[in-house]
Amino acid sequence: MTPVQDGGRDGEYPQWEAASQAAIQVIRNRSGQGQLATEEDILDELVALNLLEGTPGDMPSALTEILSTAAEGNGDLKEIQDQEGRKRYYSSQLMTETYARLLVRKEGDPLRLIAEIVRENSSLYPRPFPLGAFERSPFDMTRDEILQCLNQMASLEAYRDIARTTTSAGNAFLYSTSYLDPDYAATLAEWIDVGQYDNP
Amino acid sequence: MPSFGGWAGKILRVDLSTRRTWTEGTIERYQDYLGGTGIGYKVLWDEVPGDTRPFDPANKIIFAVGPLAGTGAPCNGRTAITTLWPTCWPKPLVATGHMGGQFAAELKYAGYDAIVVEGKADSPVWLSIADQRVEIVDARPLWGQGIRRTTIEISQMLGPEAAVAAIGQAGENLVPMSVVMNSYSHSAGGVGAVMGSKNLKAIGVRGTGSLRVAGPKEEWERLVKLHLSMLGANNQHVVPDSPQPWAEYYDPGSRWKAAPGRKWGAAAPAIDTGTCDPHNLNRIAYRSNNAAFYLGDVAWKYTVRGNGCTGCPIRCHTMIKVPSAAAKYGISEMGQNTCGGLNFGRSFFRTFPDGPRGETAVEACMVGMHLADDLGLWCNYSQLQRDFQKLYYDGIMRSQVGAEEFKSYSWNKYEKGDPSFLFELLPRIAMKQGELGTAVGLGTGYMLQRWSLSEEGWKRDANLQYWKLGHPKHHANEDAGQCGVIINTQYNRDAQCHSHANFTRNGLPIAVQKRLAAEIWGSPDAVDPVKAYTPMNPSKARMAKWALLRKELHDSLSLCNWMGPWVASPLKERGYKGDDSIESLLYSLVTGDRKSREEMDLTAERIFLLHRALTIRGMGTREMRARHDSIPEWVFEDPEGKAAFTKGTNRMDRDDIALAMDLFYEEMSWDKATGAPTLAAYQRAGLAHVARELGEKGLLP
Amino acid sequence: MDTQKMEPEVLKRGLLDTLGDLSFSRRQFLRLSGISVIGMSAFGPRLAAGAAGPVLYMEQAQGIVIGDPTKCVGCRRCELACTEFNDGKAAPSVARVKVARNLNFGPKGVFAGQRALGNWGNGLVIQDLCKQCRHPAPCATACPQGAIVAKPPTNARVVDPDKCVGCQLCLGACPWEMLSFDPETGKAVKCSLCDGKPKCVEACPAESLHYVSWRDLTRQIPPRARAETTIRLTEVTPSRQGKQV
Repeated sequence: MTPVQDGGRDGEYPQWEAASQAAIQVIRNRSGQGQLATEEDILDELVALNLLEGTPGDMPSALTEILSTAAEGNGDLKEIQDQEGRKRYYSSQLMTETYARLLVRKEGDPLRLIAEIVRENSSLYPRPFPLGAFERSPFDMTRDEILQCLNQMASLEAYRDIARTTTSAGNAFLYSTSYLDPDYAATLAEWIDVGQYDNP
Repeated sequence: MPSFGGWAGKILRVDLSTRRTWTEGTIERYQDYLGGTGIGYKVLWDEVPGDTRPFDPANKIIFAVGPLAGTGAPCNGRTAITTLWPTCWPKPLVATGHMGGQFAAELKYAGYDAIVVEGKADSPVWLSIADQRVEIVDARPLWGQGIRRTTIEISQMLGPEAAVAAIGQAGENLVPMSVVMNSYSHSAGGVGAVMGSKNLKAIGVRGTGSLRVAGPKEEWERLVKLHLSMLGANNQHVVPDSPQPWAEYYDPGSRWKAAPGRKWGAAAPAIDTGTCDPHNLNRIAYRSNNAAFYLGDVAWKYTVRGNGCTGCPIRCHTMIKVPSAAAKYGISEMGQNTCGGLNFGRSFFRTFPDGPRGETAVEACMVGMHLADDLGLWCNYSQLQRDFQKLYYDGIMRSQVGAEEFKSYSWNKYEKGDPSFLFELLPRIAMKQGELGTAVGLGTGYMLQRWSLSEEGWKRDANLQYWKLGHPKHHANEDAGQCGVIINTQYNRDAQCHSHANFTRNGLPIAVQKRLAAEIWGSPDAVDPVKAYTPMNPSKARMAKWALLRKELHDSLSLCNWMGPWVASPLKERGYKGDDSIESLLYSLVTGDRKSREEMDLTAERIFLLHRALTIRGMGTREMRARHDSIPEWVFEDPEGKAAFTKGTNRMDRDDIALAMDLFYEEMSWDKATGAPTLAAYQRAGLAHVARELGEKGLLP
Repeated sequence: MDTQKMEPEVLKRGLLDTLGDLSFSRRQFLRLSGISVIGMSAFGPRLAAGAAGPVLYMEQAQGIVIGDPTKCVGCRRCELACTEFNDGKAAPSVARVKVARNLNFGPKGVFAGQRALGNWGNGLVIQDLCKQCRHPAPCATACPQGAIVAKPPTNARVVDPDKCVGCQLCLGACPWEMLSFDPETGKAVKCSLCDGKPKCVEACPAESLHYVSWRDLTRQIPPRARAETTIRLTEVTPSRQGKQV
């Protein structure tokens, strides 16, 4: 793929600036919608605007150049990689790194998604995380999917620290034993699920 | 005499015994007390002898607001009501209730900062205020009617914009567990019977005047927008309850409930609350949904919209529309309230057929609101309902109430969680019918006394949440360790202080909270992770003092202590910092009386000290530490025997709490042995005349 | 806009502007006004008496604030922003956007009974907003001082405080009762669209107010006080008591 050549001028790519701006726009628009931008997203847009020609399929070095041009002077342009090294882009004006990471995991690695969310909550705040929250936005998993994931995780060394506690209201909370001991996690879960409402 | 903005300038005095009304100037006597509880405490100190009882004609009930009420300052719609408290046991002492709605603003527009009512009318009356025209009107046609009908009839006389604060049958019948209510759902607990004892059915206000903002309007606009920019959701929770694109942090326990897919389902048509970026000040009203917070996801489809006080963008009352409740119980399909008011009916039941957050729970809320908000019943921070459950399930009720009366209740319905049971119970409390209805309507202290039950037993049961003097805790150690304990020792009813809990529950990671705490209270050790409390230190005492002073400041300025202070914010670019001086900035610009944060806090200290002095004088003792600032046994226990200062317990340590009280008294410059403010403390706060009277009575340390 | 100096061409253009969808009475009015540019007496003795005379043509407003009652949460921050940020005081009674009077029971007041709107009814809060009526605006027509004029750039119909004498005739003329009388200034008060950045729209925390390009809402939104909105030519519009007690 190559940038569209200005008719008649051999060997020049005068639409770098326009391409960079278009790339930034795609990224920001997607971020504004709560989504990451893929390289395909950006390429599709550039082709649609006639800023690039050729068939999509290979990732041209031109794209890397376009994006690094875009990044200069647009400090909000951020890159994040998924577990296979594929790149995603977002604007830090409209999306936090926390959310971007969540989206990357959500794409194709639900086990890691669950683990990272649970570990982050267990270490940062710290608190256990309600299992039911994975059914709601932005995770949007079904109950079965969640339970399947947990079953898988139970037998994987990498997820040994992920544990479960159930409150008196019958709701399950997940936590990481790397950061919370079972008793503390159970108490916190009870507080979040029952205590806070009894102590408004 | 300088002319200040903000204040309306007049206080309305009403003597119901002589049916005389007159006005006095606010600034001349009360400027140093601001308004609200400040005026209330000052009137009680100056004019009501310490041995007066709540239902004596000599008791006064003061409805007061502050210079910010009725302006565009966010979260200012609160009226403080100060009086001698009917449920305070064994001896009634000073306490305050607070109500939101439209009343505060309307009172200011009518030209008044406060109404002081004394005496007793010889027959039922209501107080009519239409700007300068004040009348005491015959309320005999209204007596015996509920709050709803009373409000409608007074609105027919004063116009649809009138704010009407009325009591129901509970207040009329001198049931101590009664409220005054305005604007459909906004109640002040505990004072209904004081109004009833004065034969005062209601106060109706219509105000068409204005309030001057002293500072330049452009500067005021900037300040208001600054304050708005730092608002979170209800209770100043500054992170959403689910991950949002804009959010670095989130907290499943947060009251910030907005998210894509969560809709005001009963709006016409439904409205998606969506992603509420905190920079979008036009979507503040969508952040909170307290019906969903308390009742769970089931509440979204019933939500019409948020509602609340004049000028507040938060809308912590939720309007719900539940046609099934209307069909089943013959009540209105519309209901609205928040927190204890929303849960009034639901909190009685230990269980529901479909669980704590199912459809039946919603119905119980609807029936509860329908009855309690018309009869004018008070829950005392749901102590009524906790006591009721214990009395029933422990068999106490059965033995105290005669067999005949006990049989007259459908206890199978109660045990099953059938909301229709409330139709049998609540009217009887309001009408003082039967032993059960009478006893639980007295408030916990007098109920225990009447039934010869030991307060000690109540003080050992953590589930009851009982603290002292007939009232429960309100954000104590379960929220903020020692800081919470200190706060709960200071009042004569539940503490009604949220300054500290709004911070500890704001949803930010503990590291961020500690960073903010270091700036505000001098050390990151002022706050602990919840349920992982560490030993006492001076910064926790500073936090307790801050929390208490700011509560009184808010209650005197008219700012909502359920929302403030605003020391944290949802803004990442501010490091989640709010502004600890926002109260002084608002006050200075509105009134033109420039005061720094420290100067405002000194004013707040003056007001808080006056409450302390009133309590000391009322109790006739300076031994506050030993006899007033008590802490119930359950605070020092753990149901599983966990030790204090281990993870996973609220348990406090006796010696550590003794140290906590020491540090608190030191922070306040009070005498450690007695817990009484010293002469120097009173003098520093401009209360030398108070100290003099206490000194004469031997009540100074 | 000084109507005495207005060119006939401008007047004709203005009249043609409004020919699109006229009611019978309005067409009648325009024919009359076309004839009686010279003969002021056709407007009635009240108008002929005014020193400045009536505004003969007012340029159309460019924008209008509209409200969504299903989103209004009844906070009244619009009223507060309107008066605090424009007048330096909190004065909802003279706010140019009016919510308080509909808040509890809806526009029909306490007697709405079972079908009430507002906090005591189904929750809908009707926000009363100035329609920025096309010429002839009832308030401007009623003013004997010609004090209500179209103010550029928005051409909002605004009260010129230098000309207003506080007679309050405009209050009674508005079918939606959108004007107020401010006893502190002695002047009538009405919506000026805040020169194109309405403060109320900016202040609303529920996105229930919007500033949009002008459209004629005079037939969509029922008048508050009366059944008819047509301008009466042969009788003086009944004057109303000012709002203040």
